[in-house]
Amino acid sequence: MENVAREIKDLYTPVIATISLVEQLTLSEKRFWIKLPRNQKLNHHPGQFVEVSIFGFGEAPISISSSPTRAPGFELTVRRTGRLTEKMHQLGVGSQIGIRGPFGNGFDVQRFKGKDMLFIAGGIGLAPLKSLIEYTLDKRHDFNRLIILYGAKNPSEILYPQEINEWTYRDDVEMHITVDRPDAQWKGNVGVITTLIPPLELDLENTIATVVGPPVMYKFVLMALKAKRLPDVNIYMSLERRMKCGVGKCGHCQINDSYVCQEGPVYPYTRIKELKEAI
Amino acid sequence: MNRQAKDISEMKCCFFDQNTTKQFIEFLMSKAKVIAPHRKGEKSFSFQETHNPEEVVLNYNRTIQPIKKFFMPPRETLLEFELNGKPKVKKPEIKIEERIFLGIHSYDMKAIRLLDFSFDRDKPEANYFLRRQKSVFIGIAYEPDEYHFAQDLGIDVYDTTGFSLFMVPAEKGFLIFEVDETGHRYLQEFGKGLPLDAELQYERPEPTKKLKMHYNRLPQIFSHVYDSPVWKKVAERCLGCGTCNLVCSTCYCFDVFDEVNLNIKEGTRERTWDSCMLNPFAQVAGGENFRPTLDSRTRHRLYRKFKYLTDYSGELHCIGCGRCSYFCPAKISLVEIINELIEDYNRQQQHAAVTVS
Repeated sequence: MENVAREIKDLYTPVIATISLVEQLTLSEKRFWIKLPRNQKLNHHPGQFVEVSIFGFGEAPISISSSPTRAPGFELTVRRTGRLTEKMHQLGVGSQIGIRGPFGNGFDVQRFKGKDMLFIAGGIGLAPLKSLIEYTLDKRHDFNRLIILYGAKNPSEILYPQEINEWTYRDDVEMHITVDRPDAQWKGNVGVITTLIPPLELDLENTIATVVGPPVMYKFVLMALKAKRLPDVNIYMSLERRMKCGVGKCGHCQINDSYVCQEGPVYPYTRIKELKEAI
Repeated sequence: MNRQAKDISEMKCCFFDQNTTKQFIEFLMSKAKVIAPHRKGEKSFSFQETHNPEEVVLNYNRTIQPIKKFFMPPRETLLEFELNGKPKVKKPEIKIEERIFLGIHSYDMKAIRLLDFSFDRDKPEANYFLRRQKSVFIGIAYEPDEYHFAQDLGIDVYDTTGFSLFMVPAEKGFLIFEVDETGHRYLQEFGKGLPLDAELQYERPEPTKKLKMHYNRLPQIFSHVYDSPVWKKVAERCLGCGTCNLVCSTCYCFDVFDEVNLNIKEGTRERTWDSCMLNPFAQVAGGENFRPTLDSRTRHRLYRKFKYLTDYSGELHCIGCGRCSYFCPAKISLVEIINELIEDYNRQQQHAAVTVS
């Protein structure tokens, strides 16, 4: 026990980072481009998250919505939903926030090489998936087909219209959007995200599905993927929990025996099957 | 740290009468801060810093709060920050001090070794280990009461693992056993006490036999009772107050929040003990609560003791101190819950056997 603690690095002190860009995305969502001191890289994997500190307001886990290939700097997409995120929405360029992380496992991109990638995102679930989508676009030759399914409540809540526009017009990306409640101008698909799955023609053995969305979405997407006979081992899901400390201690994010901030937030479906509290 | 101490019958031993014991506590106080059980109110006990050896109570059943409060305080400041202009963040220094914990029961010592595991796992936590590192423990044998079931979990009253010295109450004083080098040094330096060479006779208390199955089998039971009706039954009586978590010697979940001083120029980030039995424990900012019912939270609490951490550490993370049951305002007994789960498991096995035949 003597002296061991001296060598242990502090887990709870954030570094001070600067907001270098802010963009209002929807009524309740903004994205922030964050720069670390001395333009250091965050060195994250797609699908990881950071703990954002706004001093006096606390700390919250926010997933990183940009690919590490676009470093230095990284993007956070933040929905205004609590005290801290409300305050964050008031911050402008040059404001300073605290950052700890990156935390969690992220997507194991090495295993996805050469595969057809099927991205399935509901609502703000597109934020963590965007880090992976951008990664596959930046390393386009490492992957085969890129199929993006995105479901939003209504057209005004579509998160990244710019990027989605770009993805839609690329020949090497198959982009499908649906909304639950269309407005007068909407000409695209209407319905929940699962309606986009049956028409897909998939090379089943070679397709990796990555799923991120609100808690209600997972079961239904899973049923649709199973109906397609996609193998369980090809399905990955990123789960939302209350990752308060990020370092596997505080207990708030636990799903049965699994600390989401350590083992997750990305889980292979084969592991989710063992975790009864997962979906 | 995890080395198994030898049996006390093989250890060097001497005798302290009551007066020598007091002198020894004074001696310890001259070496370091001494933490020992004291009276708290009429019926309760508490681990506190000793200022007067007369106030130390070595004959006690259990303290309200376990020793963890000295390594992970109920409330601690993780950060200090200034809000004037650019945020400035400072981590308050954690004072490393030598402390002697006197009069510790074997199960409470075991709890510290389990917390060592929990705070070391994945990412070791400096806050805990800085406070933990210069601790010396002096154990004491105890008389199990109706709430203790540590023996049923394989923790002997005379288990000296982790201690430097071990005290066994005897007529008009204590037998003092030398467990490790530090203990040996203390006794040498103190220089008093009657050396004992004769074969010692000390009685091991009868095993309590409160659990209906051997503790080795408990993780196996917990592999089969996830959907047991027992959880709902317990939840009907449970008040969801979280007392069981707060008095638990191996619980370590916490909450973190910021506080701003009235001058709004500076503030602190605080961490406090938290409780997985409280309703909002697993709730996220969007409002979704991933463990919204009392039965699911009760199950989670017990699975953390008998299955989840156990699968990684190989140890049960309940130490049978009886605190959660003793202090439960709804009088829910952990032993009763486990026994009901065992019965449920046995019923399942019988049913399975019948179905097969």
